[in-house]
Formats: sequence, C-alpha cells, structure tokens
Amino acid sequence: MSEKTTQRFIDAYAVSHANLPGADGWLAPRRAAALAAFAEAGVPHRRLEDWKYTDLRRALEKVDIAAAPVHQGAVVLPERPSSSAFAGIDTHKIVFVNGRFHAGLSDTVKWPKGVERHSLADVTHEQWAKGLIERRFGQTKQAEDIVDLNTALMADGIALRIRKGVSLDKPLHLVFVNADDGASHTRNLVLLEDEASATIFESHIGNAASFADIVTDVALGQGAKLRHLKLLDDAAEAIHLATLRTTLAARAHLEHFALTIGTGLSRSQSFVAFTGEGAYAGIDGAYALRGTQHADHFCVTDHAVPNCTSHTLFKGVLDGASEGVFQGKVLVRRGAQKTDGRQMTQALLLSRDASMNAKPELEIYADDVQCAHGSTVGELSHDAIFYLRARGIPEKEARRLLVLAFLDDALDRVPHEEARTAMRDLVSHWFGEAA
Amino acid sequence: MLEIKNLHAKVEGKQILNGIDLHIRAGEVHAIMGPNGSGKSTLSYVLAGRDGYEVTEGSILFKGQNLLEMNVDERAAAGVFLAFQYPLEIPGVTTMTFLKTALNAQRKARGEEELDAVRFLKLVREKAKPLNVSDDMLKRPLNVGYSGGEKKRAEVLQMSLLEPALAILDETDSGLDIDALKTVADGVNMLRSPERAMIVITHYQRLLDYIVPDVVHVLSKGRIVKTGGKELALELEKSGYAAFDADAA
Repeated sequence: MSEKTTQRFIDAYAVSHANLPGADGWLAPRRAAALAAFAEAGVPHRRLEDWKYTDLRRALEKVDIAAAPVHQGAVVLPERPSSSAFAGIDTHKIVFVNGRFHAGLSDTVKWPKGVERHSLADVTHEQWAKGLIERRFGQTKQAEDIVDLNTALMADGIALRIRKGVSLDKPLHLVFVNADDGASHTRNLVLLEDEASATIFESHIGNAASFADIVTDVALGQGAKLRHLKLLDDAAEAIHLATLRTTLAARAHLEHFALTIGTGLSRSQSFVAFTGEGAYAGIDGAYALRGTQHADHFCVTDHAVPNCTSHTLFKGVLDGASEGVFQGKVLVRRGAQKTDGRQMTQALLLSRDASMNAKPELEIYADDVQCAHGSTVGELSHDAIFYLRARGIPEKEARRLLVLAFLDDALDRVPHEEARTAMRDLVSHWFGEAA
Repeated sequence: MLEIKNLHAKVEGKQILNGIDLHIRAGEVHAIMGPNGSGKSTLSYVLAGRDGYEVTEGSILFKGQNLLEMNVDERAAAGVFLAFQYPLEIPGVTTMTFLKTALNAQRKARGEEELDAVRFLKLVREKAKPLNVSDDMLKRPLNVGYSGGEKKRAEVLQMSLLEPALAILDETDSGLDIDALKTVADGVNMLRSPERAMIVITHYQRLLDYIVPDVVHVLSKGRIVKTGGKELALELEKSGYAAFDADAA
C-alpha cells in the first residue's frame, strides 16, 4: 500500500490513462512502467537528500491533485504585472490553461518553413518525440523519479521541432495559466536540429490552489542555440514543479534564465547533459520571495565530454518568512578535460524570519579542468543604507536601490534585451509592493 | 545656522559626547580638531542622524528647526551634508543613478520640481568638470574601484550638486596625498559662500592650510576645551593635543 499522496496519483492514473495521448501505441506501456516506478519511489519527501529542503509530499497533501478542469471559455488572468510582462515584445503566444492548450487565447501563427509546432498528442508516434521522452538522465536518480509521475500522467504540451539551420523568427511565448484548483501534468518537447536557433519565453501565472507539473525535454543539435526564459509568478496557494532537461551536442549553446517572484511552493529543476564538445550552458536565475513562499532551484550539469563550459549564477532576495533553496551540482566525468564549470549562489535576507539553504556541489573525476563554486547569504548593509539616506534618499527607496543592485549582475544574464528590461521592472515592482 | 547646546550622546551604551556647545553662523567655516577618540566622528554622525547614536541630553537647532526630530534623509533634504571619511562602495548602482536619485529625492522632499535626464546630465557635467570627475567615473558603480582621491572628489561632487546649507567634512584629508588633497580642498573652497556653513573635522593641521577656517575648536573627551582663530591649529601642531586634555583643563 502506497503512502496517501502517492496513492492519489495512482488513482488519478487509473481513471485517466485510457484517454491520455498515445494510449494506442508504445507510450501506453511506457506510462504504465513510469507509474510503477513512481509508485515504488513515492512522492519525494525530506528524507531524500535531493529533497531535503523541499517537502513536496507534505505540500501535496494540502491540495487537490485530481485533474484540473479543461477550461476553454473566457479566463480571468491575475491582475499582476507578470500577466502582461512580455506584452510589449513581438512573440508567438501559445496559451495553456490548467495545462491544456487554449486556442482562443493563443495567437494563430503561420510558422516559418522548417518550424513544426504540434501538440503532444500529435507527436507521440514520432521517433524524435519518443527519443526525447525516453532519454534517461540517470546520474541523479532521486530527482528524476518525479519525472516518472509526469510521464505517467502527461496530458498535453507543445512539441516544437526546428529543422536544420532554421531560426525561429520571433520568440515563442508559452503562457501557462492555472485558473482552477487541481493538478495538471504538461510535457513540452523541443528539438532544435543542427545549427537551428530559437528563443522561448515561459510565463507561469495563476490564481488557484493548483499543482502544475511540467517537464520540458530539450535536445540541441550541433551548433544549435536556445535562449530559454522562465517567469514564475503563480498564486500563493499554488505548487509548481518544473523540470527542464537538456542535452547539448557539439557547439550547442543554451542560455536559460529563471525569474521567480511568486508561487506558494516551487521546485524548478534543470538537468543539463553535454554530449558533444565545445558546447555552452548558462543556467541562471533570480528570485524575490516574501510571505511564506518557498522556492527551490535545483540544477545538475553533467560534463561527460571534454571542452564544454557551464555557468550558473542564482541570486535571490528573501523577505517575510520566505524560504529559498539552491542546490547545484557540477559533475565532471572522467575524461571530460578542459571543462570550465562555474557555479555561484548568493542570497540577501531582508527579514529575520526568512531563510536560505544553499548546497553547491562539485564532483570532479578529470584532472585538467577549471571549476569553481561559491555561496553567500547576507543582509543589506546598514552602512550602505545610511550612506544613501544621508544624501536624502528615503529609506524605502534606498533599500529598493540596494536590492536591485544586488540582483543586477544576475539580471544582466537574461538572454534577451527587452525581456531583461521587463524582468527588471517586475523586480522593481515586486519591491514596491512591500509593506 | 546651527546651534548646539549641551549635547550629550551615547554610542552602544558608552558616553562619548559630554556637553558640546557650538554656534555656527552662515558663511563661517569651523574646524573641529582633536585626538582619536575625542568624539569628532560621533559629533558628525549625531548631526547626520545615524542609527545607534543616542542623544541623551541637549539640543540641536538647524535653521531654527529641531534637527533631532528629523530622520536621516529629512536632514539631508533640509540641507545637512556629511562628507564621509570612508565613502561606501555600492556595487550595482552607478554614480550617475545615485546622484540623480539623491538630487531628485531632495527636490521632491522640498516640494521642488524633479530634474529630467537631460537637465540633470547638463548640471552634473557642469559640476563634475572643475573636480576632474570624468564621464567614465560617473558611469561606474558608486565608489567601486575608485582611488582614495577619486572617492573624496566624488564626495565633493555630491556636495556641489546637492548644495547643502551645512557641510560637515569628516576627516576629508585621510588617505590623500598632497596633490589629491589640493584638488579636494580647491573643490571645497569653491563651495564656500555667505549662505553656507562648514564644519571641517580633522586630526591634522595640514588640511587647514588649504581650507582655512574662521574658527578652530579643540575637542577632548567629548567636550570643546578650547576655541580660537585659525592660529590655534598651528599652536596645536607645535604643542600636541596633550596640552588640551579635558582632564588637565
């Protein structure tokens, strides 16, 4: 007998699996196997090292994890700046409500030649999609078990394939709106063939006690380039679990940036695996938390081949009784010489009740590498506040300036200029909301 | 302009100022000299309103207003300026942004119109030029990577831009070589005016060769033990502070 929350997901599978995408093909037994593996492992809990600081099991006990309703009518977006943060940028907008594609809110796009955009259900029979879903990132078993839950229950998602040498003409903006209580399991598949390039924005917003489980599987071909930006500002009652898994072939280039300014409890995972030489992955982010928000950023970068570079910088400010977590691991396997791996996490506590747990790790089995990691947790300097106030800057404005200054070098890494400005404005606004 | 009466102050429970009386009129430059630990910096922080500097007795009137009832930024907007002995480095905030935020915050607090980017830039360049502060310096994060001389010139630039009624210069000479000292002193002297008062706090007489005071006070153990003209500084240079020890006096 499984533990209660795990059992609820098993029950959800029993009622829904016959209607999920791919029920008539290879995916059906794969889903069953994933469910069995998930049932065996259970919903992660704090006794597992990778989940030590985020008690997903306990959090899920409090929310409805039956499938959220399919919602095709009008949707009220939360009245927050994040709902329209990228509105001024020319994008292809695709909207998912409660984890399901919503045609009425999405742009009607004429995709350029060489760009194929499907729904998950359309591609489960295709070999490329199967290849992405089937990949294993085995080095971090515990963190990956939760992907089995998604594989068992994934109901919708976007499948994007960009052919060799083709560039997506403007950013693809994926908006995930959680409008109702309940769970959604979304799987996105992104394949950039050799020398292809794309920019993808994700916004996660909502106003419900939802559980959004999103896995995004990305494969970058040789010399392919992906800029991936994520904005997370879901409701105070919402639980967000996102896993980004990327493989990079030779000379591929990934720039991922995540800004978290909302959501009751979030776990944002990134797994990067280099499969060819000369590739680059930047996994960066910033967060600003308050109240009882909990945000866990978990990043694993696997250098299996020589001559690759990875860079991770996460900076956050924590107010109220919020909790931040950063867990990062750079794994350099035997033979992965000339690896350049850097990882830094810095947090600023604005309140006595806020807390931060940081665990940066290096695991190195090669001898000719450049790797560095570091972690700091501090508070605003009283001397700096006094200095600014002594020039006539009111205290709140002085604090705002210093907080933005602290986050500045992280926000500098947002790989899109207009989005960078939009994200800076969101952080500035976040600070303005403080009591 | 400034009237300090019987000022007593504590820092971290320790009594530092023990009854200071000081009266400064507009247009005057007063030097306050004293050995380490005499309370010079404490006096400057009490005037600026720093947290942790507790006034236990006495009063401070600034342009007829009770300074002690105003918080740090209100005092700045009212015209009190403290040039720091050790200006802080603020990574991530450019000097330009800082200056504009400070000037407009003060203008707003006084009910004046805020300056737009164009007018501000014109003003700041005009003020920066005689102080040899380059555009490059203005674009850099505040005081980050500045040399000792650059930091002090930046302080004088802030003062020049904010046009305070009362400027307090806390050990402005510390860490400066003679050339940097001259540049800074020239900048300060340009700001002397019949409407402005200055308090120059220093350990050494050297600074007063360049910024010549109208009145010199000697501070010892939290009290002013002697007041005289600029020649008092020279006398101190010869005899040392021991002759003015508060206990001996």
